[in-house]
Amino acid sequence: MSQTSSTGVQPRAQTPRLGWLSRPRSFTDSRRFFLFFMAAPAVLYVLVVGVWPLAQGFWYSFFRYNLIRPARTKFIGLDNYIAIFEDRGARQAILNTFQFTLTSVGLQLFFGFCLALLLWRDSRFNRIALAFLLIPATITPLVVGLIYKALLGADYGLIGYYLANAGIGPRTGLLTDAGTALWVLILIDCWEWTPLMALILLAGLKSLPADVLEAGRADGATAWQRFTMIVLPLMLPSIFLALVLRTMDAFRVFDSVFVTTGGGPNDATNTLMVLAVKEGLQFFNIGYASAIGNITILFIACMATVLLLVVRRADVRINGK
Amino acid sequence: MTKIANFRLSKTTSVLGASLLALMATTAYGQDKPLAGVTLTLASQNDQFGAVLAKLAPEFKEATGADLKVEIMDYGTLLTKTTAYFVGDTKGYDLVTMDIVWAGAYAENKYSVDLTDWVKRDAAELELDDIYPVILESLGQYDGKYVAFPFAAYANVLAYRKDLFEAAGLDVPKTMEEMVADAKTLTDPAKNQYGFVANGQMGAAVAQDWMQYNSQMGGSILGADGMPALNSPENVKSLAVYKELFADTAPPGAIEYDWGGREESFRQGIAAMMQTWSVGAPGYSDPAISNVVGKVGIATAPVGDGVAPEYGVGGWGMAINADVDAKQQEAAWTFIKWLVSKPIHKEFNMDGAGSFMRKSQMTDPDLLAKFDFLPVIATTYENGNGDYRPRIPEYPEIQDILGSAVNAVLSGAVEPQAALDEAQAKAEELF
Repeated sequence: MSQTSSTGVQPRAQTPRLGWLSRPRSFTDSRRFFLFFMAAPAVLYVLVVGVWPLAQGFWYSFFRYNLIRPARTKFIGLDNYIAIFEDRGARQAILNTFQFTLTSVGLQLFFGFCLALLLWRDSRFNRIALAFLLIPATITPLVVGLIYKALLGADYGLIGYYLANAGIGPRTGLLTDAGTALWVLILIDCWEWTPLMALILLAGLKSLPADVLEAGRADGATAWQRFTMIVLPLMLPSIFLALVLRTMDAFRVFDSVFVTTGGGPNDATNTLMVLAVKEGLQFFNIGYASAIGNITILFIACMATVLLLVVRRADVRINGK
Repeated sequence: MTKIANFRLSKTTSVLGASLLALMATTAYGQDKPLAGVTLTLASQNDQFGAVLAKLAPEFKEATGADLKVEIMDYGTLLTKTTAYFVGDTKGYDLVTMDIVWAGAYAENKYSVDLTDWVKRDAAELELDDIYPVILESLGQYDGKYVAFPFAAYANVLAYRKDLFEAAGLDVPKTMEEMVADAKTLTDPAKNQYGFVANGQMGAAVAQDWMQYNSQMGGSILGADGMPALNSPENVKSLAVYKELFADTAPPGAIEYDWGGREESFRQGIAAMMQTWSVGAPGYSDPAISNVVGKVGIATAPVGDGVAPEYGVGGWGMAINADVDAKQQEAAWTFIKWLVSKPIHKEFNMDGAGSFMRKSQMTDPDLLAKFDFLPVIATTYENGNGDYRPRIPEYPEIQDILGSAVNAVLSGAVEPQAALDEAQAKAEELF
C-alpha cells in the first residue's frame, strides 16, 4: 500500500538530482532559456564566421605557413610579427596607413562639420544639396579609384594631361610620384567620404535641443560662443561616432589604393591591407598575412580606445560630468 | 496484299518502339562519340586564345561528344583562383591554362598530371617534331617532365613604325645601343611623339618587361648557382638603361602602363617602337582599334652589343588538374591532343589566337597570307630562350620584388643600385 499523507494527497516523489535540467525553473529562468534559445543561431553564426576565423588567424600568425609550400610549415613564435617591423616596406605601410587615416579623417571631420553647419537650416535647397553631396559615398571605392586613375593619367587623363602639359606636378602624373601619390589618395578619400561625415554630424545637429540654443541666443551669446560652448559640447557623441566609424574604415583602406597605385611607387602608398592582401592572396603566405591582419586589429582597437578616452575627457572638461 | 501501313499498333507498342529506336540511336551516337556525356571545365587566361577556345567548344563536341566549358579570367584571378582550387584539392577545373613561369610551382606541388608518359605514348599523333624544341621544353616541361602541354607560344619581337623610321632615315635597330639612340631621335614631345614604350606599372607588368630587356642586354635574374643575382653589375647597368629610356623617350604616363596600356599607346601612334609578344601583332593592322594600319613593321628584338642573339619566348601550356578522376584526366588529354593537332591548331590561329608554335605553321600559305610576320617568329623560336624569367617555384615572389624595385627606379624614388641591392636581400630570404 502506498504511503499517503493525512490530507490524502499523494506526496511528491523524491526526484533524483539530474543537474540543471531537472531543476524547477522559475519564470525568469524559463524566459532566459527561451531568449538564449532564440539568440543561439545568431551566436552560432558569429562564432563560425567571426570568432573562429579570428582565432584561426591568431593561431596561424605564429607559423611559417605558406599554402603553396605546405611542407615548409613550422612554428616560429613571434617571428612573423618581428619580420613586419624589420621589413622596410612593411614599416612604410604602417606609417602610410597612419598618415592616411589621421590626415584623411581629420580633413573629413573639419570639412564635414562645415558642410553640416551649412546644411543645418531645414530648407528645400539644403535637402537637395545633401542628396547630391551623398552621391560619391554611394560609389564603391574600387570604382572611385579607377575613375581617378583615368582622370589623373598623364597621357590620356582629363585632368592629368592638362596638369602635365601645364607643368603642374610631376611629368609622369600625380599618382606616379612618391611625393604626391599618398596625398592624392587622401584627397580622393576625402572627396568620397566627407559627405557621409557631414550626414552623421548633421543628424547630431538636428537632434540638438532647440530650447538650449534659443536660451543661448536670448542670453546674448555670439554665434562663435554658441558654437564652442553649446553646439560643440552637445555634439561630442555624434563626433565620436563619426570619428570611430571613419577611422576604422580609413585604416582598412584597400580598394582605391590597390587599383590606382598598387602601393607604389617605392611603397609610398602601401598600406597594411594592401600588404596583407598581397601576402595572403597573391603569395598565399598565410602566416605572415595573418600577423599583418592581427596588427591591424590591434591598431584599430588602440585608436578607438584613445578616441573614447579623448572624447570622455573633453566631455568631462566641457560638460563637467 | 496486306500493306504494312494497314497494321495498327497499340499505343504502348508505339511508345516502346520509339524508345527502342532512340536507345539504338543513342548507343550508336555513344560509339561514334567516345566522350559523350563528359563535361570538361577549362580555366583560361583572357588572352586572345581565350575567346577562340570558347569558339572551338562546339567543334570539339562535334568531334568527341564532350562538352567544353571555358571560363575566361584575368591573369591575377586565374592565378589566385586556380591555386586556391589546387591547394584545396577541389575538382573545380579539369584543365587550366598555365603561364610558362608557373611551371616550377606546378611541378613542386604536383598540381597537374604528369603528362610525360602520355606524351611519349602519343608522340606520333602529337607530331612533336613539328613543334619547336624551345616551346616543348619551356612551355610544358619542368625538370624534364611535362607538367603541361604547350598550346599557345609567343615570341618577343620588336614592333616599329616603318613610316617614322623611313622619314628619319633610320634602319631597324639590331642592337640595344642602336635602339636607345633611335628612340631618342624619334622622340618629339611637342608632336606627342615618343620613340619607345614599355610597361612601367608596378608589379608583374614592369618586372616582366624589364626582365626581357635585361636578358637582351646580357643580364640574368639567377646566377650560375641557381640563386638570385638581382644586383649583378649587368642587371644594374640594364636597369639604368631602362630608366634612361623611360625618362628620355617614353610617353609621360608609361610608368603606369601595363600590357594593355603599352599596346594602346603604340596602336594610337604615340610610340615609335616597342618590344612585345607576337600575339598582339595582328591588332596593329585592325582599323577598328589601330591608328597605324600599314605603318608597322615586325622585326627580331635587338640584343646588346656582343651579346649572343637569344630571343624571349613565352606563352601558355595546358595543364590537367591532378585532383580530377582518371576518366576526366583521359578526356582532358584527348582535348589537348585535339587542340594541338595540325588542322585544329591552324584553325585556332586563323581565328586570331596568335599562338603559333608548329614549324609547319611558319610556311603555311593561308597563315602567311594573314600574318606576314611569321618568318620573324620562326627566327625567334629558332634562337629562343624561355628561361630569362626563371621558371622556379619562387618566381611569383621574385617577380613582385622586381616589380616594386624597377617601378621605384622609374619613378625616381631610388637609384638602380640601391633598388636592386634591396631586392636581392629580399629575394635571398626566399631560398
